[in-house]
Amino acid sequence: MAIINQATKELQVKIVYYGPGKGGKTTNLEQVHANVKDVKEKGKLVSLATSSDRTLFFDFLPIEAMAIKGFKTKFQLYTVPGQVIYNTTRQLVLRGVDGIVFVADSQYDKMSENVESFQNLEENLISQKLNLANIPYVLQYNKRDLANVAPVEYMEFLLNNRDVQAPSFTSVAAKCEGVFETLNMITRLLLNKFINESARKGV
Amino acid sequence: MDGALMELLQRSEATAALIIDKGGPLICQSGDTDRFDTTTISALAAGSFCATQAIAERCGEINFSSIYQQGDHTSILFRNIDEDLLLIVMFRAALSVGAIKYYGDQAAEGVATQIQKAHLRAPETSIDLVSMNVLDASEVFRHSEPPPAQAPAPVKKKKPKAS
Repeated sequence: MAIINQATKELQVKIVYYGPGKGGKTTNLEQVHANVKDVKEKGKLVSLATSSDRTLFFDFLPIEAMAIKGFKTKFQLYTVPGQVIYNTTRQLVLRGVDGIVFVADSQYDKMSENVESFQNLEENLISQKLNLANIPYVLQYNKRDLANVAPVEYMEFLLNNRDVQAPSFTSVAAKCEGVFETLNMITRLLLNKFINESARKGV
Repeated sequence: MDGALMELLQRSEATAALIIDKGGPLICQSGDTDRFDTTTISALAAGSFCATQAIAERCGEINFSSIYQQGDHTSILFRNIDEDLLLIVMFRAALSVGAIKYYGDQAAEGVATQIQKAHLRAPETSIDLVSMNVLDASEVFRHSEPPPAQAPAPVKKKKPKAS
């Protein structure tokens, strides 16, 4: 749920990177943190991880950027732990989510994990009384540089085979390819959603 | 809310107080907040408190209404306000946590009452984003180096086949 403070002219939005374990969610945030420019303020990347760098609770990166003139827009980027046993933690991190980036692993042998993770996302949103149909989301097909990757059309069929398809991007997050394109798209979807809701309310 | 936090700080002599959303965002803050990374503390506190609530449910409790962490120099108290909000108070470890809890409870109840009144007063009030000048969202986040020669374009969509 976006937080709007009219007194201080601030808008805060929460974007969660979701997906199977070791799919590239944390790498996305690391690349954004390392390479973003021209933002008003960039916080530290907080990673609550195990000794083997697997996300234990969440990663968190706050960025303040100019998305609306005259309004400070604060983006809170989170990742969830992808491992199956941390499902409760994923539910907690999804609380108040405004937009989702689903990071899928393009390797053939990870397809079942991608599908399970996507179904898990839908279930966890329901547990938070949310509906994926009402939340802007973007698909990212990561690790396109590896040898044994599935065709994009196949991944679209598995993860994006709906009447209304979500925007999707290919990526190699480790090289920062596709990272900013994905983030900018989810930002655009979020802002469009807020504007449309505002217009619908007739304010 | 600012007034409630300032009163809390005056009475309790705490260092800083925050009101945050349980999803992570910071709503407002008061006191000597420059010493702390309040944005990150908000996100971590929200996660920590929500994890504690999940533990409470598994212990057969409705909730644990507060969390207290004692440090050598600075201690911190989380206090539930309502379904969506959390009060965080940071104070010198030498202060009595009982006093902090007492004044924190008063502040939390006061804020909860005000939030309730605000909801009832104008439930449909929103902000007119239509009139705001939304910049080109495709360039909100930019890479510090020139993009690679062939930056990934959005995947072209095929129309789904009718079943």
